[in-house]
Amino acid sequence: MGNKWIAVAAVIGVLVLSLLLPAPALAHGVSIQYTSDIEITIIAKYDSGEPMAGAQVAVYAPDDPSTPWLTGVCDDEGRFSFTPDASKPGIWDVQVRLAGHGGMVHIPVGEGTATTGGIGGIGGYSYLQIVLMAACVIWGSIGTAFYFRRRRPA
Amino acid sequence: MHIPDGILPVQVTAAGYAATAAVTWYSLRKIKQKEDSRQDIPKASLMTAAFFVVSLIHIPVPPTSVHLVLNGLMGVLLGYYAFLAILIGLFFQAVMFGHGGLTTLGVNAIIMGLPAIIATYVFRLSKIGNKDSPRKDGAFGFLAGLVAIGISVALFVVILLSNIPTDLNAAVEQAAIFTLAVAHLPLMLIEGVITALIVIFLRRVRPTMLSSL
Repeated sequence: MGNKWIAVAAVIGVLVLSLLLPAPALAHGVSIQYTSDIEITIIAKYDSGEPMAGAQVAVYAPDDPSTPWLTGVCDDEGRFSFTPDASKPGIWDVQVRLAGHGGMVHIPVGEGTATTGGIGGIGGYSYLQIVLMAACVIWGSIGTAFYFRRRRPA
Repeated sequence: MHIPDGILPVQVTAAGYAATAAVTWYSLRKIKQKEDSRQDIPKASLMTAAFFVVSLIHIPVPPTSVHLVLNGLMGVLLGYYAFLAILIGLFFQAVMFGHGGLTTLGVNAIIMGLPAIIATYVFRLSKIGNKDSPRKDGAFGFLAGLVAIGISVALFVVILLSNIPTDLNAAVEQAAIFTLAVAHLPLMLIEGVITALIVIFLRRVRPTMLSSL
C-alpha cells in the first residue's frame, strides 16, 4: 500500500517538474508578427481653395455607420489624420462639416485600399472647363432671351 | 449660403421641396395673371445667367469668404419671375459646379428665392407718395438688396442651427455658423449698393425694366 502511494507521488512529482522546467532545447523557433497601420490624411477645402480650418470631422467605422468611431477637428490647413482599425476592413466614412458646409468621403480600408481619392469641389475641373461650362449656360440663357424676344407674326 | 448635400436630414430637404413647389405654383399663377406673361421672359433669362455666374465671384471676408447672390436685384427687376430664375440658376450651379446640391435644391431655393420676392415688395414701396426721384429709387433699391441678403442669412442660420447632428460638438458648430453669418454683414451693404446703382442706371436708360410685378 505504502509503496503504491510513493510511486504515485513520484510520478506526479516528475510531471510537475517537467512542466516547471524550461525547455531551452526547443527555443529555436522564431515568431515574427507585423501589423501595418495605414494612416489616412484628409484635406478639406472650400471650392474657392480655402482650407476648412477648424472644421469638425466625424469618422465612421464600417460596422457602425451611425455612431462616430472618432471625432476631431481639422487643423489650419484643413488637414485631419487618423489610423483606422485594420481589423475592420470595409468602407470608412469621414464626414467634414463647418458652418453648414461640408461633405462625406468614403475611404475603402483593407483589400484594395486606395492611396488617394476624394469628392466634390470645382477642383476636379480645369479653369478652362469651368469657363466653358459657365459659357454654355450663359449662351443657353441668351438664346432663350432671343427666342422670346423674336417678333411674332401678327 | 448654398447648403450642400448630406448636411440636412431627409425630412428637411423634403419640406424644402414642398415649400419650393408651393412658391413656384404661386409665382406661375401671378405671372399668368399678367397681360403678356411672355414679355419678361428674356429679362428673366438673362438675369438667370447673371445669377448663375455671380456666385463664382468670391469676396474675402476674413476668416472666411462670401460670394455675391444678387437675389435682391433679381426681385427688383423680375418680380415673381425672380423665384423661378433663382430656382433654375441654383439647379445649374448644383449640377455644374457642385455648388449647393440636388437634394437641398428646394431648401436653397427658399433661402435665396423667397427673399427675392420680399425685395420686390420692398422696392415697390418707393412708388408710394408723389415724389419720384432717382435718389428715392436708389434708396429703396439699396434697401431691397440689403433686406434680401439679410433674410437669406437669417433663413440659412435658422435652418442650420435647428439641424445640428448630435455627433458634432454643437457649441463649435454654432460658433462657426455665427461667424459665417457675421461675415455676410458686409455683403448686405455691397449688394445694397450694387442694387441701388443698377436701379439708378436703369431708371435713366430703360425705366420700363423697373416696372415689373
